[in-house]
Amino acid sequence: MIHRFSAMGCEAVVAGGEAAAPAAVLERWEDAFSLFRPDSELSRVNRSPARVLVVSPLFARALSAALEAAAQTRGLVDPTLGTGVERVRLTGRVLVRPPGLALDLNGVVKALAVDEAAAALPGDGFVSVGGDLAVRGPVDVGLPGGGAVRVVRGGLATSGTATRGRHLVDSRTARASDSPWSQVTVSGASCLAADVAAKAAFLLGDEGPAWLDARDMPGRFVAGDGGVVENETWAGSLREAPACT
Amino acid sequence: MAAHSRIERARGRARVAKTALGALTALVFGVAFVGAKTHAPGHSKGKAKPLGAPSSFEHAVHESALHGGQIAPAVQPPPVVTSSS
Repeated sequence: MIHRFSAMGCEAVVAGGEAAAPAAVLERWEDAFSLFRPDSELSRVNRSPARVLVVSPLFARALSAALEAAAQTRGLVDPTLGTGVERVRLTGRVLVRPPGLALDLNGVVKALAVDEAAAALPGDGFVSVGGDLAVRGPVDVGLPGGGAVRVVRGGLATSGTATRGRHLVDSRTARASDSPWSQVTVSGASCLAADVAAKAAFLLGDEGPAWLDARDMPGRFVAGDGGVVENETWAGSLREAPACT
Repeated sequence: MAAHSRIERARGRARVAKTALGALTALVFGVAFVGAKTHAPGHSKGKAKPLGAPSSFEHAVHESALHGGQIAPAVQPPPVVTSSS
């Protein structure tokens, strides 16, 4: 049975169990990180004039993932949107950052929430929020521009400008990206890995397919004119379907 | 004789002073040691506690730092679609 409901400003789809447990997980993350809620922890941290703050374990985990993503993508996916990630320090739950330096954790929060929600499922199934998903057991997923793929393990995420326009900021220029791609879909070991890699590959433009290949990550790119480019890892994964015996 | 007695008394006072000084030093060291263990950042305060997320989630995130997932050809109509949001 498939459950559909609204979460984190998107449509959430859950299969493989009751929706209550995954929905509670998603609500907890949205409550802590929504920039549209003035009482969310992220809003309070960004408003605070203090240089040193003690944050919740959930906040520390999300910020840690965001800083790790910034390191792994050499700053392409950056929780400060290019305004000074090197000035942010997190030691345990102690956050040190210059007052006024706003954090944007949207790059990792939804994917982390999806991963945790999928982990809360009692058995095989999947959790999808706004098209980013984590699976437990094989799930067939429709792709941008048509076609489908079976996600056997991990997560699948798509980043781009097709739905909300040019909302991805290139932290190298601190401006909206002018990537040649409209949507980039990546398969990762988790939804977080897929989402971070999809954003980075999108921002890298023509270098995106090779960047993913260097990390053995399958990627599928839809160009502005609708043309589809699969990187070698994606194409190879679909050729190497397990043989029947 | 009297001079000898005065020297003995002085030695006794010195022994007491040394013992007191040693005990005070040990006490200050002990208090500082316990204080550092319990209050100073960077000193272990005991066993690390889990953050509350399911261990399967922690495992997945730890293992997933930009590693690829596993995909295969679809075999049935997809119940869900991926897209940018």
